[in-house]
Amino acid sequence: MIRFGLTRGVTAAAMMLLLSAVLFFSTEALPGDAAGVVAGADATESERAEIRKRLGLDEPAVARYVTWLGDALTGDLGRSSAAGRPVAEVLASRFGNSVVLVGLAVAGIAVLATTFGLVAGLRAGRLGDRLLSSMTVTLIALPEFLLATGLVVALAHQGGMFPAVSIFPPGDSPWQHPDMLVLPVTGLVLGGLGVATRLVRAAVVSVAESPAIEQARLDGESGVRLAWSYVLPAAAAPGIQGLAVMAAGLLGGSLVVETLFNYPGVGSELARAVTYRDAAMVQGLGLALAGSALLILFVGDLLAGLLNVRSRPASWRRAERGAP
Amino acid sequence: MSNLPRRAFLGFGALTAAGVSGLLTACSSSSDGGGDDAGATLRAAFAGGGSSETLNYFVGPTALDFVRARLVHAPLGAIDAGQPDGVSYGILESIEISDDLTSYILRLRDSVTFTDGSPVTASDLLHSLRAPDELEGLPFTRLVGRSFDLASARKLDRRTLRLPTAQPIADGRLLLCQSMLVIKDGTTEFTPKTPSCGPFVIEAFEPGQQTVLRRNPDYFGDDVNLDEIHLLSIGDAEARVNALREGQADFVSGVSPFNARDLAKTRGLTVRAGEPPYVSNLRFEMNLSHAPFKDERVRRAFRLAVDRQAIVDTVYFGRAEIGNDVPALGFPSYDTGLEQRSYDPDEAKALLREAGHEGMSIELTAGPELTGMVETATLIVENLRAIGVKASLNELPAGQLFADYEAYQRLPFAAGYNPSAPFEANHTPGTFPDVDKLVATARSAPAESDREAASHKAQGLLWEKGNEIIPVFVPTVDAHTDKVSGVRSLQFPDLSAVELASA
Repeated sequence: MIRFGLTRGVTAAAMMLLLSAVLFFSTEALPGDAAGVVAGADATESERAEIRKRLGLDEPAVARYVTWLGDALTGDLGRSSAAGRPVAEVLASRFGNSVVLVGLAVAGIAVLATTFGLVAGLRAGRLGDRLLSSMTVTLIALPEFLLATGLVVALAHQGGMFPAVSIFPPGDSPWQHPDMLVLPVTGLVLGGLGVATRLVRAAVVSVAESPAIEQARLDGESGVRLAWSYVLPAAAAPGIQGLAVMAAGLLGGSLVVETLFNYPGVGSELARAVTYRDAAMVQGLGLALAGSALLILFVGDLLAGLLNVRSRPASWRRAERGAP
Repeated sequence: MSNLPRRAFLGFGALTAAGVSGLLTACSSSSDGGGDDAGATLRAAFAGGGSSETLNYFVGPTALDFVRARLVHAPLGAIDAGQPDGVSYGILESIEISDDLTSYILRLRDSVTFTDGSPVTASDLLHSLRAPDELEGLPFTRLVGRSFDLASARKLDRRTLRLPTAQPIADGRLLLCQSMLVIKDGTTEFTPKTPSCGPFVIEAFEPGQQTVLRRNPDYFGDDVNLDEIHLLSIGDAEARVNALREGQADFVSGVSPFNARDLAKTRGLTVRAGEPPYVSNLRFEMNLSHAPFKDERVRRAFRLAVDRQAIVDTVYFGRAEIGNDVPALGFPSYDTGLEQRSYDPDEAKALLREAGHEGMSIELTAGPELTGMVETATLIVENLRAIGVKASLNELPAGQLFADYEAYQRLPFAAGYNPSAPFEANHTPGTFPDVDKLVATARSAPAESDREAASHKAQGLLWEKGNEIIPVFVPTVDAHTDKVSGVRSLQFPDLSAVELASA
């Protein structure tokens, strides 16, 4: 197990280095730079050149990559070319918000997808399964902005139940305003629920046909007890890996929801930075997102490894076999 | 492991319950709390700029940064065509111009103080004028530095400053009053604690989210009615409109033409569009290094082919002004005597045939940098196809159009825009030498009649042979509840004199 963890850890670190280079040089390769955007249409040539020099855009790219990577390791991610704010400061304020949003959404997805996936998987082919499958397919087919807009219309415009946009007073964190979290979290849950449910259902279906479950059924187990105690533990590994992939993707990818509900997360900040050629911001936020995505996947892999009977250390297996 | 989802489920359920009860209390406190006791609070939403928002308005790239700064730092004045000087004064009492147009005397109001109690003096004024250059401000903040010799400025007394010009200019008042604000001498950094002398002071600032402004009790003006302004940053136009509809904001800026039409019909809401000169010109530039555009007849054909009324009606639902291919609509020197360009596809076809460019191909490049830019470009492409031009549209995503400025300048046919600014001071020389000469005269001739004649002649030449199609002038459209009054449409909305009627 320790070797498994170590191998995965080293792979993740190498991956991280590779990603940092890809990230840096792909933002470099984009045509144009912040000087063109920042200066505006009425700037003179010398004013443009001056801005370029001030932003350090006149140095060679490789030299800038090495400096940037070195600084990043010490926690200095550079400054935004838009107004000179340190990237690390922006990251600190936005990243926590995204973690709150995505954490709640993933928790919601986990609960609902597990419930629906178990119900559907254990009744594969029957009416309940077909109803749930149509629901999940519909959810997958609906674009995220449509789901989110539907939520605004139904729960904000018509019902007046929840605020349509997130407006947090200065200094407050999203935790202090749960009412403003409801619509963005629900939007993300609906967006991810379809795929997650199908994932769990597929795992449950394959587990349900296994000899172990057959044995449990013959032993008289059924219903909720069979699902909770026998099917779920066996189907959990692929489920957790699926959720990890989803959580990693949502962390920077909840752009539609963040934009529509004005949620101050890291995704909308990244999109703004790309639009305005704010290279330092794109690189800094990208690096943090890539790092946390790798971390989540790494932890997901470890958990799944622990749950997967076949990859457990032999001593565990012996202990299990010895148990009554 | 099997109890993990169960625990998560319980946690989620508890959180949902907390959310609902939190909401109930939040609703009741927010709708009553802003009432009479706390005084009038305006909640105004702008697009903002995410975390790149800054209190340093010299480098802040978004409208919100300037709107905020104008509420905190007193402006020298504002462009006001109704006043004899063409401007109305703010912290300045007067601007006098020497007869030979080579020096300007700026006089401050008496006994104005900063929030730290110190008086506003000529030294502060001079620092304010030099700061855009010294603090490496964005080009649009440096108009004054380009036209005046700030290094040779001299303080005549405690509140009077003599400002020599770089070349003789007559339009210096417009430049000084367009967007200049007063900050304290020595200010190089901007924090909520930085001394200021505008109508409001900053109580809290969270970039990309919210700024809380509180009335400055020592402000020299007497038209401030609000106690607080909350400037909300809401990037998405639809989300801003949702905030207004749901009562989370009293005023929203930057409403799309479609939403404006819809909101105007909604009870309790008012839609307002900026008026000239506070309109942006949407322009389509025909690059003179592209062979067909070297022929004046081709340029005229393109201009005649564009159905301007259709653009105003279908793209802007009437909330835009028809353009006449000459910039700076609404400024005093704008030539209203020029014949309005007609829509004449037959004449356009004939001109193209005459020039031998019948059926020419052209690609128009545009992006969503100004409301309706892409939609207008789409209509222009249609119009050009109608006269036999093989026109196509290259639509770029947001932020791309000006990103590579050198490449942009090489495009044969490209959309662009200029925010509201006087024609002569913003004229870029180098295209037509005769126009450049006339513009120089229009800025520096001693007699006003000569300046106006030269300006009109330059505009006439641009109308006749210029390489820009300016089909429309686009205002910023705002919407607010009927309780809000007193919004002034300047370059950006000015909220300092807003009044909120109690419900």
